[in-house]
Amino acid sequence: MCHGILKEKGVGMMHYAWLIPVFPLITFLILLVAGRVLKEKVAYIGIAGLALSFLLSVLVLLERIGGETYTYVLNWMTVGENVVTMGYEVTALNAMMLIVVTLVSLVVHIFSKEYMKEDDRIHVFFAYLGLFSFSMLGLVLAPNILQLFIFWELVGLCSFLLVGFWYFKPEAAAAAKKAFLITRIGDVGLLIGLVLLFNRVGSFNYAEIYTAVEMDQLSAPMITTIALLIFLGAVGKSAQFPLHVWLPDAMEGPTPVSALIHAATMVAAGVYLIGVMYPLFLASSTAMTVVAYTGALTALFAATMALVNNDIKRILAYSTISQLGFMILALGTAGYVAGLFHLMTHAFFKALLFLGAGSVIFAVHHRQDIRDMGGLWGKMKVTSVTFLIGSLAIAGIFPLAGFWSKEEILASTLINGDGFLFLIALVTAFLTAFYMFRLFFKTFTGEFKGGDLNDPTEETFNEQAAWEATQSAEVGLDAGYEERKVYPNHQEVPENEPRENAGLMTFPLMVLAVLAVIAGFINAPFLGHQLEAFLTAGLNVGTQPHGALWLAFLSVAVAVAGISLAWAMYVKGFIREDFFSSKAPSIHKLFQNNYYLDDIYLAVFVRPTKEISLLLWEMDKTIVDGVITLIGSLTSRSGKAMGKHQDGQLQTYGLVTVFGGMVVIGLAFAVRGYFG
Amino acid sequence: MIVLETDWSLMTPEISLAALALLVFTIDFMTGIHGKKPFIGRLAVLSLLVTAVLVILLNPGGGSIGDLFLVDPFARLFKLIILIGVAMVIMISMYYLDRNPEVYQGEYYSIMMFAALGAMLMVSSADLITLFIGLEILSISSYVLAGFKKHHRHSTEAALKYVILGGTASAFILYGMSFLYGLTGSTSLVEIGQAMPVLFQQYPALVGMSFLFMLVGFGFKISIVPFHMWAPDVYQGSPTPVTAFLTVVSKLAGFAIVIRIFTLAFGFEGIHGEWSFILAVMAAITMITGNFIALTQNNVKRLMAYSGIAQAGYLLVPFAVVLGDFSSTVIVFYSVAYLMMTLGAFAVITLVTEDSGMTDISSFAGLYYRSPYMAIAMTVFLVSLGGLPLTAGFIGKVNIFILAAAGDMLWLAIIMILTSVVSFYYYFGFIKQMFMTEPRPNDKELFVPGGLLTVVTVSLAVVLLLGIAPNLLLDIFNQYNWMPSFN
Repeated sequence: MCHGILKEKGVGMMHYAWLIPVFPLITFLILLVAGRVLKEKVAYIGIAGLALSFLLSVLVLLERIGGETYTYVLNWMTVGENVVTMGYEVTALNAMMLIVVTLVSLVVHIFSKEYMKEDDRIHVFFAYLGLFSFSMLGLVLAPNILQLFIFWELVGLCSFLLVGFWYFKPEAAAAAKKAFLITRIGDVGLLIGLVLLFNRVGSFNYAEIYTAVEMDQLSAPMITTIALLIFLGAVGKSAQFPLHVWLPDAMEGPTPVSALIHAATMVAAGVYLIGVMYPLFLASSTAMTVVAYTGALTALFAATMALVNNDIKRILAYSTISQLGFMILALGTAGYVAGLFHLMTHAFFKALLFLGAGSVIFAVHHRQDIRDMGGLWGKMKVTSVTFLIGSLAIAGIFPLAGFWSKEEILASTLINGDGFLFLIALVTAFLTAFYMFRLFFKTFTGEFKGGDLNDPTEETFNEQAAWEATQSAEVGLDAGYEERKVYPNHQEVPENEPRENAGLMTFPLMVLAVLAVIAGFINAPFLGHQLEAFLTAGLNVGTQPHGALWLAFLSVAVAVAGISLAWAMYVKGFIREDFFSSKAPSIHKLFQNNYYLDDIYLAVFVRPTKEISLLLWEMDKTIVDGVITLIGSLTSRSGKAMGKHQDGQLQTYGLVTVFGGMVVIGLAFAVRGYFG
Repeated sequence: MIVLETDWSLMTPEISLAALALLVFTIDFMTGIHGKKPFIGRLAVLSLLVTAVLVILLNPGGGSIGDLFLVDPFARLFKLIILIGVAMVIMISMYYLDRNPEVYQGEYYSIMMFAALGAMLMVSSADLITLFIGLEILSISSYVLAGFKKHHRHSTEAALKYVILGGTASAFILYGMSFLYGLTGSTSLVEIGQAMPVLFQQYPALVGMSFLFMLVGFGFKISIVPFHMWAPDVYQGSPTPVTAFLTVVSKLAGFAIVIRIFTLAFGFEGIHGEWSFILAVMAAITMITGNFIALTQNNVKRLMAYSGIAQAGYLLVPFAVVLGDFSSTVIVFYSVAYLMMTLGAFAVITLVTEDSGMTDISSFAGLYYRSPYMAIAMTVFLVSLGGLPLTAGFIGKVNIFILAAAGDMLWLAIIMILTSVVSFYYYFGFIKQMFMTEPRPNDKELFVPGGLLTVVTVSLAVVLLLGIAPNLLLDIFNQYNWMPSFN
């Protein structure tokens, strides 16, 4: 009953691509069964699994560079007349994604060995990491959109587990739940979109969907509808406006998780989804416009929120949202390669920044407020230098990775978009450079403001975080967990000063820093746009826009301007730090409170849902009592005999059944006109 | 004469089950009324499994006894669902009865078997009288079971409510049936169905009346809104395994007969369009009401009652959209998934609530630390009920969704998807209790008896297996001509 369909005769490495997700799955299973016994050795198993996946990904990529797309599928489910298949596929795009995912996951595994070493549940942590890596790689290898959806939900589940890893912190539990439920709003759109596709095309396979779009099997409004529904899924997963609110809260998870899931891989899945469905999007100019504007607005809004935040991880989270907006903006302006290129470079430098932040947080004993940091440059050499590289890369300074991809996005908006989009992109680029260096300067330069690290009374109180905690507690779970200090704290560390962390934590930083420097060259114009040639070969995604030389200068100039402003404010003090907040306090407040979106959601969705539920519940319980009073003594008299040890609702139910029946019958007859 | 000419071997499983149930009943008499009787439980499970094997092995080609009794793939599959369901309920009950020795044990098992017999007769019937007899055997057994803890106020109250309201529902059904008989002079569903196109032209109001009265009555039996109000009260008051029985077996058997009667009698082209919209609206209201009210519940059994109401709404969707083989495949697949995930969940619920002596959701506190396997299994059942991938519930829902889209009722499918997102919120309530809350101080590690362990393991295996390899069942189902007497 099972038969494989081989598109290519030669059986090379690509045939074994299915093993790439299997290695982390095996580590997950091992840790699930034997995790408690293995204790701190679990990290080695996780690292070994990912190392194998990474090696195999490299081999697969090398083979794919010279070869063709490879597909292998089995029959999985028969739906009516149609057969749904499952399997795997190695395309140019996912060969690149495999490298990104396995590499970032590998370095995050290495980093976590040190970062999580004092946590009792380290085996659970590594088990979840394995499960996540499996799911993410499965998502990437999927040859059809249903299989993608399955893994899409699985990564969402892993994200839930990992954000809520320290579930005994009420904020973490609430954040996990919020992340899961809000992304599900997007998933609803995606699911509806893909079922509509199946309904019209008769298949979930990418290849057949592309063909159907090319052959005009779908009407134009249908293409737009489906594209927008699929885009809704991407909006949820990639934290785009207005569903982005879950990502900053998701920072409650351990920092390596933020680096892996909420910066480099899972949140990029939305961008990847648009990438694999690109022919569909290209066929609808309405959808492309919506995509472009959503991306642009997200990029700008998120950057403004990053300007005023003081939590090192939340700043990076807003930055991630903003950069994801950039990618989506690029895709929306026909910059297929630009968007995916930025996905790759961003994965490297944002993972670097998050791990760098983790290194800092670890060194200052789990404080996250940048106002309590400062002066770490001399104390943490590797972290500081690599963080600087990451910051320069994201700001778009020549010749680092971010420069090349950001320049292509600007070119794409300029050539295919309109002036407004280009302006937003430019402003965002400026803001990006500014907030990143605000973060950098406040953390690494000046004096250390954290006080004595071993003083237990020196608990930092973060107003913003406290405010948000109350918010999310209201949205999500009730409080009332017993506080359990299991997450790493350095009790045996004698020093009361921050210092550089062990090699296992700095090595990943160095690897990622190297990538943040060189990754951009693979699509550099003077090397002939190698990545573009690779990604677009055999794919109908239109001509890729390229910018003129002046654009490159402009983008660097904007970045330098942003950095200079930050330098003037936070290092030299030419401009007072509270210059903007004192001049325009209401705007400052707006930024700081996330444009009040959480409150709006609370008022528009959460409260009404609760109220509707309670109302329906009340109806179930009491409306009927009202009916009874109206009906009068008839029922109460006949019910009295029984009513004594009853709560008096039986007659009610009986009446409701009878009257409900009458109403249904009456309505049906009225609607269908049987009376006439 | 029909009695002599027909092939009574078609009824072998039913006859065997009746005999075995009487045997259990007799053995119970011979061993005294009081005391624990686990061996009778085992005998009952064995009897049900033997009957299930008979259903599988005998009459694969199908057939019928007059127009009274049909053996077609639809009936056989639902019989298997009923038998396996009741067997699992009895395995759950054995634990429950062990902890509640004041309940008369032998009677419990034999009545459970009679209920299964009634349900089996019902799903095979093609005649209004046979159908009603099967329905009443099932219903009356259910009333008795609901009140089995006769010294407990809640249980007797539940039974009393159930009897009176169930009687009302039966009256509706009978009244609706009487119209059909009056119009056609026949009680055979096939004959009624053949006469229906002409009748509907002549007497649309009477046909409509008959349909709607039956819809009200059956709507009560399968607890769809607005005829659902009895369910939470009865479910809460009944002994927990009986709640499981009502939620799963009773409801699925009710569904089977609703599909049977409405397909055969009202199924032809012209009239399906008339009522499909009413059903679709009721499905929508049922999904919305069930899921939203479940959000407000703290009692596990009431919560599961509302969740079960919502699930009935999901099951109604394919039926409302279209009739025929594809629709039946989707319904039967979801029924199997529903059977397994709900009974699995109820096995865990019985264990936990009996251990803690309360039915509040907080009885699940810290279950993961007391019995990791039970907590993980429960999580799988819950996410399957909610419809996350890699579970049978996901496959079932995707199939329903695809069917609804194909049948131009996308709006209904969208309501289904949206309300199932709502459902995650209350299923999370369990997950939060199990994993993210400390066990209460006196709670020790939970001992899981063999029967419950078997039920949970079997359910878990099926839920996951069907989620990963749905074609194991779908390939078989797709070959079926579910109801040869339709078309």
